[in-house]
Amino acid sequence: MKPPRAEAQSDADRKVPFRGGGFAPRITRGPAVIAFAVLIALWQAAVSWRIANPLFLPSPIEIGRALYALAASGELWLHIAASLRRIAIGWLLGTAGGLALGVAIGLFGLARSVGVPLVSALFPIPKIALLPLFILWFGIGEPSKVATIALGVFFPTAVAAFGAVDNVPRSLIRMAQSFGLPFADIVRKVVLPGALPGILSGFRISASIALILVVAAEMINAQYGIGALVLFSGNLMRTDQLLAGVVVLSALGLVIAFVLGRLERRLLRWR
Amino acid sequence: MELVVDGVGHAYDGLAVLDGIELAVRDGEVLALIGPSGCGKSTLLGILGGMLQPTRGAVRLKGDPPAGTLNPFTYVFQDFALLPWRTVEGNVSLALEHHVLDAGERGAAVDEVLSLTGLSEFRSALPKQLSGGMRQRVGIARALAARPAVLLLDEPLSALDAQTRDLLLEDFERLWALRRVTAVYVTHNLDEALRLADRIVVLSRRPGRIREIVAVDVSRPQRGVATLAGLRDRLWRLIRDEAASADREIVAHEAA
Amino acid sequence: MVVSRWLGAWCIGALAGVALGAGPAPAADKVSVSALTFVSSAPLFIAQDRGHFAKEGLEVEIKFFTAAQPVAVAVTSGDADFGTTGLTAGYFNLAGKGTITIVCAQSREERGWEFNAYVASNQAYAAGLTGLDKLPGRNFGISTIGSSHHYMLGKLAERRGFAMDQVKLAPLQTVPNMIAAVKSGQVDATLLPAQYANDLQAKGEAKVIGWVHEETPWQLGAVFTSPKMIAERRPVVERFVRAWVAAASEYDAEFQKRDAQGKRVFGPNADALIAIIQKYTKAEPAVIKVSLPYIDPQGRLLVRDLYDQVRWYQAQNMVDKTVDAKAIVDLSFVKGHLDVPN
Repeated sequence: MKPPRAEAQSDADRKVPFRGGGFAPRITRGPAVIAFAVLIALWQAAVSWRIANPLFLPSPIEIGRALYALAASGELWLHIAASLRRIAIGWLLGTAGGLALGVAIGLFGLARSVGVPLVSALFPIPKIALLPLFILWFGIGEPSKVATIALGVFFPTAVAAFGAVDNVPRSLIRMAQSFGLPFADIVRKVVLPGALPGILSGFRISASIALILVVAAEMINAQYGIGALVLFSGNLMRTDQLLAGVVVLSALGLVIAFVLGRLERRLLRWR
Repeated sequence: MELVVDGVGHAYDGLAVLDGIELAVRDGEVLALIGPSGCGKSTLLGILGGMLQPTRGAVRLKGDPPAGTLNPFTYVFQDFALLPWRTVEGNVSLALEHHVLDAGERGAAVDEVLSLTGLSEFRSALPKQLSGGMRQRVGIARALAARPAVLLLDEPLSALDAQTRDLLLEDFERLWALRRVTAVYVTHNLDEALRLADRIVVLSRRPGRIREIVAVDVSRPQRGVATLAGLRDRLWRLIRDEAASADREIVAHEAA
Repeated sequence: MVVSRWLGAWCIGALAGVALGAGPAPAADKVSVSALTFVSSAPLFIAQDRGHFAKEGLEVEIKFFTAAQPVAVAVTSGDADFGTTGLTAGYFNLAGKGTITIVCAQSREERGWEFNAYVASNQAYAAGLTGLDKLPGRNFGISTIGSSHHYMLGKLAERRGFAMDQVKLAPLQTVPNMIAAVKSGQVDATLLPAQYANDLQAKGEAKVIGWVHEETPWQLGAVFTSPKMIAERRPVVERFVRAWVAAASEYDAEFQKRDAQGKRVFGPNADALIAIIQKYTKAEPAVIKVSLPYIDPQGRLLVRDLYDQVRWYQAQNMVDKTVDAKAIVDLSFVKGHLDVPN
């Protein structure tokens, strides 16, 4: 016989309590956009209402105006082009050298024995400090600037590369050997593609280093360049233009990060 | 071609894992190697294919590999060892790219093994899209593409669940019937060995010595639970105490 | 009566005593001045050590900086009441914000008096850079964009009729860098103060190919203060300027007299003044003697040139277009400013 239905009422509110929530934070875009908008509004208000001295802290609107003026006069593109040229050449040179050394350290005992202590010893030297030396050796022109950037990119790239090569699973290399692949083929088809994720993440670091060093390198003898723009705007007491230059630098950094992200997504689809 | 294992012993850093192995791998046979964990079966397999150099003894070849052999000693791995960035097709063709074949010949060879292993419609898939069983089929296809003289399988089904294992065992049986190749098959699973092997080499616990070699006289079509029961008992009795003491040894070793 | 006459005399005596300041002396006004340790600030040092400030009842604290920018910023932020340094685009941008006002003149490039020289590297000279007309197509070392060197080069281009963008600028940040660059030939030419230019020439390490005073006389340096000071403490500003002018007159008397051949003649107290300058700049007397810039004995500004400077920088987009040149100069503290446009 079925039990009386009088228990139906209490059955309905006796559910098993839910205990598995939380500890899974997700990023939504809304709060970030609002936070940025609020910050910028507060900043503008601080300057407009004279809480902050407009002489030393230009308002967002003034920075925007300075940026527009630079773009309209065409000067901005000259500065960006000059910096990008130095970054591109320096980064390519440093990356080529760093990858060559890093992969060699990853593959060959002699390279590793010599290379790892050398890199560890020279890596910590701030490349900015070497700039006067490079000027002495290469002159005040582009070579000393490119050399500073290249050297700054070389070391983290070498470190990332040999770490990435070390992280290629040995089982895949043994598999390739067991199929009789020659050494060059194993490097080309197993080691390098396997090291690519580590190498690409090393690029993120080396790209931001290149950006920092281009500003330092443009301190001597650079009429054009974003770093030069920031520097001489400071000398001219044009703080609005200075911060406009800083904004451009940040934008440059964001673009580079975006491009690298895209590259990673395309090349590492197999992960 | 026959492989003769002549007094092979191996030690890692002073720890002996194989001792005095004398063995012949006959042409066209499937030889299973079973034994408890740590008995050196995978080590012996590595030595057989030239991936490991034994600290004592040697493996000798009698006769030549059959005509058309591309990679005489070819492995199938427990963890599949597929290149994650290559498709199924790319992984299989890896075995052939460094041999002297033109693109047409290579393409035909790849197509052939893909259809043999039932992978034709998965040729453009990436390993991450495949189940464990499918991945191992790619490993087998790759190994077959290399036209091996001796196929060396290192616990190929250990990483798979029981149902997938049964499916793949059926595939193995089918492939063996189509394309006879000498094979050395390492496993710790008695039933696998009994289903597939012509002879079963039972290794003792570490250091691995040959305990006994058991011939599986039942013809393949007739192999079933009933027909293999006697052999299974015999093998289990052989392995059981080796397995039990190996088990305890490992625990004691770790505690020390 | 005797009592009333005696009382009357006492009253007159007391009044006279008060009138003559027979009580305790009034405290001196404390002010601070920001400056560089350059010879061009000489009137400041002379006013301090020869008692001109004291005579005006001013107790002056000199705050030294190592670059022109901080000198101006110090007055802007109220860290200093007065300042004196060379004029640059950076100065005018600050001035345009209404925080500093020029009140009288410091050094200037004056025809007949060596101050800044155009110096060519030996390599460039040998390759044909023997005169200022040959500058187009060369590279030229300056300290920074918008500096006085930049302005002088720009004015030279206008005078000599070449486009400034035909000369490639090499911003090198500091004078030692500029000296090193022209010595090693890494720049074809640069601008250097007389003592360095003549020194390089004498040692054969570079060649002087021209002088700014012969090409483009201009108001190089000024004395400035904040509008707040002018509004709230005008008498103090007037006294400061008076003391400065007194010192400048002394400077003029001892250093800027010429003989019949036009050569500089040092006055009887020249060595005493040079010793004062040495004390503050740490330079040797021999070096000081060849690096004395022209300083107006009455602190008079070249007013038209000041306005021109602002206009030039604005035309190069280095100074904000909203800066009004007239608003950043107060001509009321000195009589007889030179070349005042109507």
